[in-house]
Amino acid sequence: MTTAAARQRTQHAAQDSHAIVFDTVSKRYPDGTVAVEALDLTLPAGELTVLVGPSGCGKTTTLRMINRLETLSSGCIRIGDRDVMESDATQLRRHIGYVMQHSGLFPHQTIADNIATVPRLLKWPKSRITARVEELVELVGLDAGLIRRYPHQLSGGQQQRVGLARALAADPPILLMDEPFAAVDPIVRTHLQDELLRLQARMGKTIVLVTHDIDEAMKLGDRIAIFNQNGRIAQFDTPTRLLAAPADEFVVDFIGADRELRRLALQQLDPEEIDPGVHVAGSATVGDARTRLQQAGSSGVVVLDEAHRPLGWLDWERLRQADGLSRIEQLELTPWRHRLHERTNLRSALNALISAPGDVMPVVDDDGRYLGVISQVQLTRRLS
Amino acid sequence: MNDSLPALLQGLIGWLADPAHWQGSNGVLERGLEHIFYMMVSTLIGAAIALPIGIGLGHSGRGGLLAINLTNIGRAVPSFGVIIFVFLLVGYGVIPVIVALVALAIPPMVTNSFVGMRGVDPAIRQAATAVGMTPWQRLLQVELPIAMPLIMAGVRTSAVQVMSTATLAAYVGLGGLGRYLIDGLAVRDLVQVLVGAVLVAILAVATELLFAGLQRLVTARGLRHD
Amino acid sequence: MNPEWIASHTDDILAALIQHVQLLGLSLLFGLLIAFPLALLAIRWPRLYAPSLAITGVMFSIPSLALFILLMPLTGLSMATSLIGLTLYTLLILFRNIVEGLRGVSPVVCEAARALGYSRVRRLLQVELPIALPVIMAGIRIAAVTVIGLITVTALIGQGGLGQLFITGFTLSFTTPLVVGFVLSVLLAVAVDLALVGLLWWLTPWQRGRTS
Repeated sequence: MTTAAARQRTQHAAQDSHAIVFDTVSKRYPDGTVAVEALDLTLPAGELTVLVGPSGCGKTTTLRMINRLETLSSGCIRIGDRDVMESDATQLRRHIGYVMQHSGLFPHQTIADNIATVPRLLKWPKSRITARVEELVELVGLDAGLIRRYPHQLSGGQQQRVGLARALAADPPILLMDEPFAAVDPIVRTHLQDELLRLQARMGKTIVLVTHDIDEAMKLGDRIAIFNQNGRIAQFDTPTRLLAAPADEFVVDFIGADRELRRLALQQLDPEEIDPGVHVAGSATVGDARTRLQQAGSSGVVVLDEAHRPLGWLDWERLRQADGLSRIEQLELTPWRHRLHERTNLRSALNALISAPGDVMPVVDDDGRYLGVISQVQLTRRLS
Repeated sequence: MNDSLPALLQGLIGWLADPAHWQGSNGVLERGLEHIFYMMVSTLIGAAIALPIGIGLGHSGRGGLLAINLTNIGRAVPSFGVIIFVFLLVGYGVIPVIVALVALAIPPMVTNSFVGMRGVDPAIRQAATAVGMTPWQRLLQVELPIAMPLIMAGVRTSAVQVMSTATLAAYVGLGGLGRYLIDGLAVRDLVQVLVGAVLVAILAVATELLFAGLQRLVTARGLRHD
Repeated sequence: MNPEWIASHTDDILAALIQHVQLLGLSLLFGLLIAFPLALLAIRWPRLYAPSLAITGVMFSIPSLALFILLMPLTGLSMATSLIGLTLYTLLILFRNIVEGLRGVSPVVCEAARALGYSRVRRLLQVELPIALPVIMAGIRIAAVTVIGLITVTALIGQGGLGQLFITGFTLSFTTPLVVGFVLSVLLAVAVDLALVGLLWWLTPWQRGRTS
């Protein structure tokens, strides 16, 4: 996407009723600490925006001002065209989902009652609440048998799922998440992150997520706002742009030394870069293959089956020693451990290439059919 | 007063077996009911005053120093002295004694309800606000149910303490089972004194068990970790 | 208030105060001596703890006067009756706090002490006990202040420390002795409580400057 298109999309989103707009927002505490200073920020509707930064940078305060858990000192926050300070705080909160670090579940209520909190506050009829709870339990991937249990009987990961279900209960257009995965172990965290992305692809809510983990930000965010220690935004951009054009030293430092690798993870193979390569059908003869190779000047050949799927690699040395009249499929081929999908990211491509025979990897389409090869040389060139 | 133990036990059983001792205005039933009445009335009035204060302070988070130290201060005040003091000031009357009992019942309930309310995890309180509960909804639906076990523990402490002090108040003329103790001591009737002590002890233990059961009853199932 | 009565009864007042302090000191001492081994047993066999807490809780609910009187057939109208009764009350409070205090010592610290080669007894005396001291001291403070009030009740069975002044006031319908007894009792409670806080401060230099 070009920058112009991105800008256009942002402008469009700002007019959308669920975009969140910060207009010179500041938050000062009575003791003089400044948490947030003159913040201008537009969080586009339907996107997942991550607020990230070192501790004490004001990212959580920024999040909490949206549903008025914190009161802003000056400036204004609008959701669509409504000023949050002009709406009733409790009503506002009932229409904005909130997920916190330690699930914040009510210990004296069952899982079902916890999930039903907001619908109950909104006085939904009982039957509708019951149906909604069942739906949510399934949506967030919880075992239906758990809903009669109490929070302390659940694991941290399960509690966090319940927390998400509670936040989504009344189907709010906006979801605020305050370090939602910080308290669970890394494996569970990865699961929950994947699940959130899966849900968001389906729901398209306006999500604001606070984290101190830049990896999490890069993985989840459509857009990322990096806060510096002074409660100001160092850069607000898409992950790709942050990596490609960090605004200043602070951003460079914050993203970390392996910025180039992270960047690769966000880039897909360019179809232009896929080399058609030298390939022969398994039914061809060794003689044919030799001729093709000599013409192309390559070190080996990709062997394909009848359905045009890569079978393995055959290098020049083995071709030279083989009987010119025998069929290729009768020879011993070197198989690849992976195949690269045409939409794979460059970081995985690089990893796969390191162990690939002949320093090349076949690229395939959705049906596994051969598209061409990519070589280590090509990728390394892009890295520099 | 130096009767042998078997003789005393025999006397005790004989006293209790005599139906005459169970009836009438100085009978066990009447005295027992009086005792329960003093305890209930004082605890209930005390609760009506103390719980709103403790819960209110705990909900708002103010006045913690006073609320927490009230019980310590109350503990340092000798209740026996308070009872005699009230008697010397206004003379004997059920109402002045009950007022004194109420005053002694208040501190543990204020402290416990305050501590109970403050003990609600701030994250849970914040979650209640974040999902859009009004302060009243937060209080009634979240904070109170979670604080209830400790609030009831305070009521239990007060009830037991009132029971004990009501026994002492027989010294200045209050009815109830304490009469047997005080009157028996006055006339050196060891059997009557023991009867009183046994009955008071039974009533106290019953009260303790009743309130322990009540405390368990008001503890939401999700809060029982056993 | 009648200053002349106070002046003419200084000796009586002093004797009552001294008896009060004696009863307090002895009941705390005996309470500690008994509660400590019991607490160690409850820690050694954790299954004993819940039932023993339930029993002590029920015993604690028995009104003091009734408890004193129930002991009379065994010990008569003697100082022993008061002392045993008072000791029972301190015991109940101390037992709970000693167990909670020792249980509250971080397992990491115990593990470290074991790894460093402390014997069981040395570990208890030099590591666990000092760390548990604040909780135990909290129990001693509650026990002391509670017992100071309870001692006045023993006046009804013939002992009573400052409680004797209450009785005198009551029988003479004269507030001065009552007020003197009352004020001294409260002052004693405050003084003992402060002294115990000071003792804890002196015994736990590592806790100073920390807000509890």
